[in-house]
Amino acid sequence: MIKRFIKPTFRHIFLSFLSLFWLIPIFWLVLTSFSGYPGVHISRFVPSSFTFSNYQLLLFGADTVAQFPTWFLNTFIIAVFSCVISSFYVLMVSYAVSCMRFKLRKTLMNLAVILNLFPAFLSMIAVYFILKSFNLTNSHIGLILVYSGSAGLGYLIVKGFFDTIPASLREAAKIEGANEAKIFTKIVLPISKPIIVYTVISAFLAPWMDFIFARIILNSGISSDWTVAIGLYNMLDKNLINLYFARFCAGGVLISIPISILFMIMQKFYVEGITSGGVKG
Amino acid sequence: MKNFLTQIVKFIKEIVLAIKEGDLFVKFSLLIMGMGYFGRKQMIKGIIMTLFQILVCFFAWIVAIPYLIKIPTLGTVQREMIFNLDTMKNEVNEFDHSFKILLFGIISIFILFVSLLIYFVNIIKVRSLQLRKEAGKHINNFSEDIKEYFDKKFHITLLFFPVAGIVVFTVIPLLVVIMVAFTNYDQTNMPPTNLFTWVGVQNFQQLFTSSITITFGYSFKKVLLWTLVWAFFATFTNYIAGILLAIFINDKKTKLKKMWRTFFVVTIAVPQFVTLLLVRNFFADTGIVNTICQSLGVTEFLQNIGLVKQSLSYIPFLTDPAWAKVMVILINMWIGIPYLMLIATGVLLNIPTDIMESARIDGANGFQVFVKITMPYMLFVTGPYLVTSFVANINNFNVIYLLTQDVFFTMDQYLANSNAKEIDLLVTWLYRLTQEQYNFKMASVIGIVVFVLCATFTLLAFNTMIKGNREEDFQ
Repeated sequence: MIKRFIKPTFRHIFLSFLSLFWLIPIFWLVLTSFSGYPGVHISRFVPSSFTFSNYQLLLFGADTVAQFPTWFLNTFIIAVFSCVISSFYVLMVSYAVSCMRFKLRKTLMNLAVILNLFPAFLSMIAVYFILKSFNLTNSHIGLILVYSGSAGLGYLIVKGFFDTIPASLREAAKIEGANEAKIFTKIVLPISKPIIVYTVISAFLAPWMDFIFARIILNSGISSDWTVAIGLYNMLDKNLINLYFARFCAGGVLISIPISILFMIMQKFYVEGITSGGVKG
Repeated sequence: MKNFLTQIVKFIKEIVLAIKEGDLFVKFSLLIMGMGYFGRKQMIKGIIMTLFQILVCFFAWIVAIPYLIKIPTLGTVQREMIFNLDTMKNEVNEFDHSFKILLFGIISIFILFVSLLIYFVNIIKVRSLQLRKEAGKHINNFSEDIKEYFDKKFHITLLFFPVAGIVVFTVIPLLVVIMVAFTNYDQTNMPPTNLFTWVGVQNFQQLFTSSITITFGYSFKKVLLWTLVWAFFATFTNYIAGILLAIFINDKKTKLKKMWRTFFVVTIAVPQFVTLLLVRNFFADTGIVNTICQSLGVTEFLQNIGLVKQSLSYIPFLTDPAWAKVMVILINMWIGIPYLMLIATGVLLNIPTDIMESARIDGANGFQVFVKITMPYMLFVTGPYLVTSFVANINNFNVIYLLTQDVFFTMDQYLANSNAKEIDLLVTWLYRLTQEQYNFKMASVIGIVVFVLCATFTLLAFNTMIKGNREEDFQ
């Protein structure tokens, strides 16, 4: 009797302990974002005083260092454009290699596998110079091109989904006289809504999460050009951290909210994508 | 590979045959690309092809040839100020820009190569047109040709822009960077003020030499070893712990499954650069964790058992090589386990329940079910993911860079000489070499090494996986 009662309790205590461990940094983020002291608290976990001023300053009191609204807008514009381009690219490539049969199909797919093995920012050194010779560094167009230019390489997950669409469906449409373009837009796309949602959201989230490419391309030090990621990173500079740490946390909370919502929507497809992709080619 | 070669041979044979047996229009199209179409009354197509030919010739004359003749030397005229007698001012001479020569040289080679391919394909196309005409078959007019691109040739329409994007933003940059590995492009040879040139495999030799002045060999060995150790631990700690957590939460006896899962998933939703930078401050030398450890006497205890040097008054979580290595692996678990938990949950729910039930009826205990059924199934489904995540961890830039940049400084003079740190992975080393030292030649060499590493590993892993093809085991 006692054993039956203790075991489940122990199980839940263990889980609570683990969750607490995982959530401590998140608690700290939220608590510090309301902290009355602008720097890093080193002696206490819970701040000594609470205030909304960090959010207020971040949203309405932009200064030369912290221009959160501008960064947010920049990132949003970049995210929208690169999301549109890369979603189209991914869907187009996936349909071509999944549903159509042509001579160089296998060759192209093998090449894509090889290209994916290079570290992404190895090519960035050269991309930087290419963009520079067209005067596109330190511009948002350049960054959009960097995010979406090679998006076609990330087709595997969507291809995996298209592979599961019965070929008979397409055959039937062909007999009815539909051409490939019609089959793609009128038949395959409408029944692929889940994977389109996944593609769009993950493409939209990439610029919000990315730090390194933005830092290479937007390197002029003009803070009104930055994205949220570089802006927030810069707040933690040795000379700034004691004035801006609380605001950094507030910024972190603010961008985490929309990202969490989007992530929750695509969570289901995330798992499906990873477990359905893989070796089959 | 063999298949690829036979296709090339077939292609060449087709061209030769087309030239040999083609009629006058086909032979003329060797000179003017549109000729073959004009002969079959496909005027618009003929004009387009001819215009294309003129454009390519123009491009070759204006851009390609001037750059290509400089490729062997990568430029000879150094930038300098010259006194111009006409304007009575100092002016910049017409100097060579080595990087532009390399970049535009490669772009030119690429464009000319593609044009040449189109030129040959054109001959075959024109020849097949001739055959169609001779056989009395229908020859498409222009609008019918366009329609083809939305039906049988729709893949060309679909792939054109994405592939062009990949070529411009991945293929050509990679070619350029691979070429840079064979030059002496570094801080002292930086265009536009200076020229750089070809040096053969000297940089690759440098990566394996250790002497008093060149310490790349020494650093490379250390960084490579740590990269492999890191990739191994980062992948497998997360994998195993993530699966265990998922099983634990999915157990019948666990109440409020959804709530527990959400607790862990919340940490994924906060961007990595926020959490990592936060955690970095958490564990700083004067950070909150150190304050707590101090007041609880943990620091003193660690000093007594020798894990923290007596001279330090804090625990060097992210500043001492050994501590930092352990810490980044632990923090990476904090980042990665929720992902794995999510994936494993998805897979677990798909395990056919009847297998589990019958195993239990046969008297298998929880551990046996885990080892004999859950794990093999898991490995089968997530095998490819495991391989890709090992490769991703070799390239895991974020965790290492965000946790240790500006915080971790190396005391090892040999490492510092080649701008490496104990905590560096090959990729972070590469990044800092380009961004801080402008040492592009060595960065390119390291990049190629990373590629070779990832490629070998992937090939080996997938080969063994395909050999052990057990697709039917779980069907």
